Amino acid sequence: MKRFLSSMIDGRGFDIGLVSLPLAFLLTLSGLPLLYNIVMSFQEVDMFSLGSFWRPFVGLKNYRDLFAQPETWPILANTATFVIASIAGQFLVGFGLALFFWTNFPGASWLRGLFLVSWVMPGLVVGAIWNWILSGDFGVLNFILRESGLIAGNIFWRSDPGFSLWAVIIANIWLGTSFNMILMSVGLSAIPRDLYEASELDGANVWQRFWTITLPMMRSSIGAIIALGLIFTLQQFDLFAAITSGGPNNASNVTQYWAWDLSFRQYDFAKGATISVIMIVFVMVASVVYVRSTRHEVRG
Amino acid sequence: MNTVSRDRLMLVIAIVLAGIYLFPLYWMYITTIKSGSEMFATPPTFWPTNPQWQIFGDVWQSRNMGRYIWNSLVIACGAVIVITVLGVGCAYVLARYRNIWVDIGLFLILMLQVLPASLMVTPIFVGFSQIGLLNYPRLAVILAIAAKSMPFFVVLVRATFMSVPQELEEAALVDGNSRVGAFFNIILPLARNGILVSAILIFMQAFGEFVYSKSMIQAVELQPASVGLNSFMGPNTNEWNNIMAYAAIYVTPILAIFVLLQRRIVSGLTSGALK
Repeated sequence: MKRFLSSMIDGRGFDIGLVSLPLAFLLTLSGLPLLYNIVMSFQEVDMFSLGSFWRPFVGLKNYRDLFAQPETWPILANTATFVIASIAGQFLVGFGLALFFWTNFPGASWLRGLFLVSWVMPGLVVGAIWNWILSGDFGVLNFILRESGLIAGNIFWRSDPGFSLWAVIIANIWLGTSFNMILMSVGLSAIPRDLYEASELDGANVWQRFWTITLPMMRSSIGAIIALGLIFTLQQFDLFAAITSGGPNNASNVTQYWAWDLSFRQYDFAKGATISVIMIVFVMVASVVYVRSTRHEVRG
Repeated sequence: MNTVSRDRLMLVIAIVLAGIYLFPLYWMYITTIKSGSEMFATPPTFWPTNPQWQIFGDVWQSRNMGRYIWNSLVIACGAVIVITVLGVGCAYVLARYRNIWVDIGLFLILMLQVLPASLMVTPIFVGFSQIGLLNYPRLAVILAIAAKSMPFFVVLVRATFMSVPQELEEAALVDGNSRVGAFFNIILPLARNGILVSAILIFMQAFGEFVYSKSMIQAVELQPASVGLNSFMGPNTNEWNNIMAYAAIYVTPILAIFVLLQRRIVSGLTSGALK
């Protein structure tokens, strides 16, 4: 006992104690639910069996039922559209802004930091604001587009099935741009300046310098940022809840909202768990890419 | 073109860009103080002609916002306390050593960081209801948020500990401190600022958390402000000035903290997020 105590105060035991408690906490509250999720996706879960652990196992029935539902493929396609369009938008706007602020003028870093407010705001508030901006008859975005002659009539962003997914994508691009920009700025500031000076002496113009120095030097940052973008986009839930609720008629529904909707609106916990398992596999793949691309940095 | 005028030009462009980017925030505040008819005017007014300042008090009263904000505070503070108490030590150990076990631990933590809350809420809800934790819904939400956000905190704080020179700890040990003593007297005070900034970031996230609260807290009097805002926004609402007032009251404290601590928050974030 005494040896254990002194090890806790002054030896290896101190480190092990510090690290094992939080790891145990994380494994209980994240790892265990993860396994439980997989178990539930093979079970029949209804309101009556919700309270007991021993529910009838049904094999792959939940998976088969899920893919037999007519809305499954459209929702998966929506998810792909949402992810690709959001990442592309966030990345391009974020990269452009990062390049602009990289030119380094007085006040640049302060103004750049100001963009990050979108990132610290509650998702519901961002959703509420965009809900109002995108509103059909009185929305300010429609007004601006109309005045600039881009559209002739109002677009009903939230209720038109052709636009409702794009309403959420616009809001999500706004939300994620700042974070992309900050990460990109970190990558840019790591490029040695003398590379540019040397190429300038050799007579390379701005365009050539961008393609031959900036982009190749940013390759690992870009990989990490796109993987992170995938992870964050698949986590986006609040905007759907605040802008379209997945409607109209699932036109803007994506898997991460659908899984919640199945569980907590339709009380079909088994299906909710099933779709969660499928999506978590995607997220895991993305995070392996992310961890690999930052591996040398992870080790310090 | 000389440097000064180039700098001025760039600054003007930057301010315009920031203005465009922050327009949604401006629109929120401006809509709040518009009257009911001005709000639906075509063309919309970009500067209110008849500001309605009393709307903040009205919405605070009628939506019972004091209770919602209080619940948000309880949940956010609880999550920050759990995460800080558990996460600081974990980050310290992960920063101090460099071996295969640390790599495995880091990998585990990074993998747990990426699980989307809306996908994890199903098993957490069912599990919590089975062990009876849903009878204490705010505690359940605190635990769920803590599990979700702790990895991010550990990654950020670990970067802080990495910047504390290890020689300082060694010197303290040579001087006769125990490991515990060195940790609390030397290392923690040096890492205080980084821990504080990370805790503030976690606080902001937890203050706006929605999925877990929406799913696990049924009783209205225990719901946080994010759920309150969600139930305020019906599908066919037209009280946009009231909703924007609610959003403004909810978000202004966070924005104030952010603007005050902007430099530290941004540098804390950039040191941890990509590393």
